[in-house]
Amino acid sequence: MATVNPILDNTYDDAGERSPLILGGLDYAGVTDEVCGIWEADKPPKIWFVVLGAAISLLMVLGGCVGHLLMDGVGVWGNNNPAYWGWPIVNFVFWVGIGHAGTLISAILFLFRQNWRTSINRAAEAMTIFAVVCAGLFPGVHIGRVWVFYWLFPIPTEHLAMWPNFRSPLLWDVFAVSTYATVSILFWYMGMVPDIATFRDRCTSKIGKFVYGLLSLGWTGSARAWHRYEIAYTILAALATPLVLSVHTIVSFDFAVSQVPGWHTTIFPPYFVAGAIFSGFAMVVTLLVPVRKLYGLENLITIRHLENMNKIIMATGMMVGTAYGIEFFIAWYSGVPYESYAFYNRAFGNYWWAYWIMVSCNVLIPQVFWIKWCRTTPWFMVIICVFVNIGMWFERFVITITSLCRDFVPSSWAYFHPTWVDIMMLIGSFGLFFTLFTLFCRYLPVIAMAEVKGVMPRPEDH
Amino acid sequence: MAEENKNSNTDENSKLIGLVAQFDDPESLVQACDQARQAGYTKTDAFSPFPVHGIDPALGIKRTILPFIVLGIAVGAVFIGLGMQWYTNGGSLGEFSTDESPVFPGYRFKISGKPYFSLPANIPVTFEVIVLSSAFATFFGMWFLNKLPMLSNPLHRISRFKRATNDKFFLMIEQADEQFDRGSTEAQLNEWGAVSIDECRKDLTDHNLPSWLRLVALMGAILLLLPPVAIFRAMGMTSRAPRLHVVPDMDWQDKSKTQTLSPIMMNDRYLFADERAMRAPVDGSIARGQLDADTELYQGIKSDYVPTVSLTTPQGAVRTGLGTQDEAEATPPVEDVSMYVTEFPKEITVDEALLQRGQVRFNIYCAACHGYAANGDGLVNQRAVALAATGKAQWTSAKSLHDATVSDAAKNPLGRIFETISNGRGTMGPYGAQIPTADRWAIVAYVKALQETGIKPVLAVSDDEDGDDAEANDTTEAATTPEDKTQPTP
Repeated sequence: MATVNPILDNTYDDAGERSPLILGGLDYAGVTDEVCGIWEADKPPKIWFVVLGAAISLLMVLGGCVGHLLMDGVGVWGNNNPAYWGWPIVNFVFWVGIGHAGTLISAILFLFRQNWRTSINRAAEAMTIFAVVCAGLFPGVHIGRVWVFYWLFPIPTEHLAMWPNFRSPLLWDVFAVSTYATVSILFWYMGMVPDIATFRDRCTSKIGKFVYGLLSLGWTGSARAWHRYEIAYTILAALATPLVLSVHTIVSFDFAVSQVPGWHTTIFPPYFVAGAIFSGFAMVVTLLVPVRKLYGLENLITIRHLENMNKIIMATGMMVGTAYGIEFFIAWYSGVPYESYAFYNRAFGNYWWAYWIMVSCNVLIPQVFWIKWCRTTPWFMVIICVFVNIGMWFERFVITITSLCRDFVPSSWAYFHPTWVDIMMLIGSFGLFFTLFTLFCRYLPVIAMAEVKGVMPRPEDH
Repeated sequence: MAEENKNSNTDENSKLIGLVAQFDDPESLVQACDQARQAGYTKTDAFSPFPVHGIDPALGIKRTILPFIVLGIAVGAVFIGLGMQWYTNGGSLGEFSTDESPVFPGYRFKISGKPYFSLPANIPVTFEVIVLSSAFATFFGMWFLNKLPMLSNPLHRISRFKRATNDKFFLMIEQADEQFDRGSTEAQLNEWGAVSIDECRKDLTDHNLPSWLRLVALMGAILLLLPPVAIFRAMGMTSRAPRLHVVPDMDWQDKSKTQTLSPIMMNDRYLFADERAMRAPVDGSIARGQLDADTELYQGIKSDYVPTVSLTTPQGAVRTGLGTQDEAEATPPVEDVSMYVTEFPKEITVDEALLQRGQVRFNIYCAACHGYAANGDGLVNQRAVALAATGKAQWTSAKSLHDATVSDAAKNPLGRIFETISNGRGTMGPYGAQIPTADRWAIVAYVKALQETGIKPVLAVSDDEDGDDAEANDTTEAATTPEDKTQPTP
């Protein structure tokens, strides 16, 4: 059994000993009890109902906006000449970016044998899927006639007598995002099957036994099954790693392949991927700090986990900051007057306020994580991470709107005005996200128990 | 321990599957597995809440072939991904192009003059297809190889086994193993450190599904196929009734189309008295750019001309449309040639630029019938004369503009040429709608220039066409009179 370790602060590195990832002297049964306790409780905490109620209210707002949009057409948005890509695309890129952290934690950190991922990967993967759902909503309703959405896919039909254009970045996006959503769901579900089996074996209600029995697919934890399962998990991780990098690369192609000044740059793919990881980790921290507090998971999601995530946030934040600088350098170095103007206009034009919100939130504010107190104090890091998410939303806003509103021809310059539908749909998308996430916290294993047990210290290690 | 029937492997209610021994930590499980394998057991399996490392060699588990399955699917996906894009975007192979395929033809998008199939543009989608197929292969292949989902398993009947997904470790030795013996196997398991041992028994009294249920399910599945089949059949058939429009899109709109009844009704009456959708301009209003009061410029008729005879003008004749030829023959119009201008209107300056403009316009609009040299040998004319000779068409030969009736300034003043171009003459159609006024005057100037320079203007005829031109001239001469109709040979 695991040794009882009295250390409560595991953020100090001792060369002689590995810092424990699980605190409180939990053994295997202890981990199971803590995680299952959330779901076995007769009633969830009151705050859960408050959050779910608020989230469902916002979800209904979103539903109303989408209904209004479908009945009246995309004219209810502020998208108009010249900014045909307005908030819907900003929101899409924002949510897709957030949806990158889960797979990154699951796949890339798995391939790098970063064992600390096990406590946070399940919630991060769930967050990924819910964020991709929110992301998919915006281009989904942006196509106008949503009832013929299947025209996006190469489905043989004599009725349309036409196929998609495979040389368009927008079609690459359809393939990238739908592949990413599918693979994320497979990865998430596959990782969850052993834990659902735990739920099944502990469940007392008839409905629960049936549902979890069905979802766990008859998992017994057989060594032969584990053998194939682990190899399959590694293969999926190896597939998801290039996939997660490709998705935001292709999202950035939506912009970079066009000719618009400020978009037509080769730095976009790496810069978008770094930004995606940055915003995704910020969202994971924003979600996990309240969850661990609420459900008393401090022994499983320790300060060390949070600190590691904050370090990644700071690192990717500086990558993004470097990219902002390089963009200006290239704009000057290229000698193209349109490029130079596009970037001058971003910082000092009529959207200067959005640009400086972006720089402050993404580059300056995360620098506080150099101080150990800042990156190990839960309530403080949540505030910083909320700022990061605000900054990342503004990054997409700055890229999309400033470039479109100041393209080659001054006669087509304009100032973008969102409508109330734009604003309510952005707010409503958080309702969708939090509804799914609160339901997940209640009904599915929030922490990957089997994986945590796999990295727990064994008696012979000491 | 099992309560009943320790010594018999099978009775009428249940069948022994194997013995399940519990261990408290992964290390003792691995040791027990190792000892079981050394003792000669092959049909064994271990159960643990997480993957225990070192158990694969202890149990003698062979490496799975899953990676090779995934590799095979991934390689196939390269061809499927590329092939899909090649086919659907009208890729070609030699002479064959998929957009000519009879069913589900490819669709060629011509964008910026780029090729229909170019590898760099097709890499992102190919990559996503590879990843998606491989992920499906991994996910479903893993469950398939594990023989899951298995919704009923006798192991789950053992209450102690529920901790296999929590904190305990189990080793099962199956009854089917050659070495298995109820008593000695249990003793060995105890010797290897089992904390407790359970029998795993399969319940033989389980109720099977009633046999008729399969038949009903099969019939239900077939019945479910009927609606889609009916829909597909209806989609592939012609129908006299309008199709069912689930989503009308923009097929019906509240808008007025030209030359129709007004769709706007008020109290069952048309909104406008004339019931038309279009509104006529107010009487006496002239649209911008359509003030053509200057008859010299716009009609080729002298501004001081006062018609003395009843207006049976050529315009009137042409505007009656088809059958003009016959009418013209029946009642030859009384034409007052003196009404046409003999000089270019003051707005038109005749210079080299005008002549060049006239040449270009002439070659576009007139040369098809009248020929580049205006001697009536245009390609359309040649072809039509040939067809008319076989009786396949009726055709009135285009006139040579070098014909005396055309080139004589007295019989055919400038204004009359302009009028001919504008309104047509005989079977020649009117070009007023296609050619702007200034261009028509430019053509007039060019026609006069052609007539002045003779039959072969140097600019329009290249040397190697001399022979053809000789023939063309013959044809022109054969068509003697301008109004002559080439009659089909009986």
